[in-house]
Amino acid sequence: MSDTMATHEFQYSSAEHQAETAISGMWLFLATEVLFFGALFLSWIYSRHWNQAGFDAGAQQTWLAIGTINTVILLTSSFVYSVGLAFIRAGNSRRLVQCCAVAWLLGVAFLILKFGVEWPDDIGKGLFPGHGFSIEGPLRGGAQLFFVFYFFGTALHGLHMLGGLGVVGWIIRRARRGDFSPAFHTPVSVVGLYWSFVDMVWIVLYPLIYLIGRGP
Amino acid sequence: MTDRLRELSLTLLLLLVLLALEFGMAFLPLARSLRPLILVPAALMVCLVGAVFMEIRQGPAIVRLFAIAGLLWLAILLGLGSLDPLTRVDLNVGAIATANQTMPSAIRNR
Repeated sequence: MSDTMATHEFQYSSAEHQAETAISGMWLFLATEVLFFGALFLSWIYSRHWNQAGFDAGAQQTWLAIGTINTVILLTSSFVYSVGLAFIRAGNSRRLVQCCAVAWLLGVAFLILKFGVEWPDDIGKGLFPGHGFSIEGPLRGGAQLFFVFYFFGTALHGLHMLGGLGVVGWIIRRARRGDFSPAFHTPVSVVGLYWSFVDMVWIVLYPLIYLIGRGP
Repeated sequence: MTDRLRELSLTLLLLLVLLALEFGMAFLPLARSLRPLILVPAALMVCLVGAVFMEIRQGPAIVRLFAIAGLLWLAILLGLGSLDPLTRVDLNVGAIATANQTMPSAIRNR
């Protein structure tokens, strides 16, 4: 459906029906994603409960500044994408492209900080769980468990970010072709839901990784 | 359009305030078991993103049903999954054995 008219496929009663189905489908997918990440959060609860001191010793080794900057980046990215959606509803396709491009660039900045700066630093400091793990003593086991959670959780979230960058890029390409209008912009709404959900996951991961284990 | 932009801007501002609050809470002298309270601002932030950026209020009713279902499934997963670690009583087996040995035999064999 590259037409900017609000047409619909034969199985739907109207264009609005088709749009509602697409948006509901994305919400159902996100509900399953909640369970996907829920297992990760449960592993945090379980592992930290039995290894509080070790877990906190691990958390204190994380790079708080980068985690906080990345949180601001993702919140801003979600905001900018939502502004773009408001613009296409008002019929301004050029502003949609600009907002999506900014949201995309912020997503790339997040990934560069996380995997280009923070991860190499963590690995360089010997924080990757295994033989060369640098924290010694009685807290070693709990700290290793923390870093298993850290690397696994941030990698899973990063994969979701990559998927998000792919679909935001697809929206930019279609918007540049003039595929969207105030009457038809369902893909922009659906991708926006996914992009904000990835932001939501990070909002939960940020305190679990960087804040809870960091006391005075 | 202007109203929507104002709503989005205020939401971003509120999100940043909550982030600052959460960041500040991390340095409070809270007991280790109370530190998960730092998640309260994060929960509010998730609600804000869902309500404003994801427009859950404007979507069809089934969207709210799916969102509630997701939260319910998550509550079951986390609730039942953490029931054991949060309620298990740790018994100090060594101390019990010592107490048994020092207990008068009349009481121990009762």
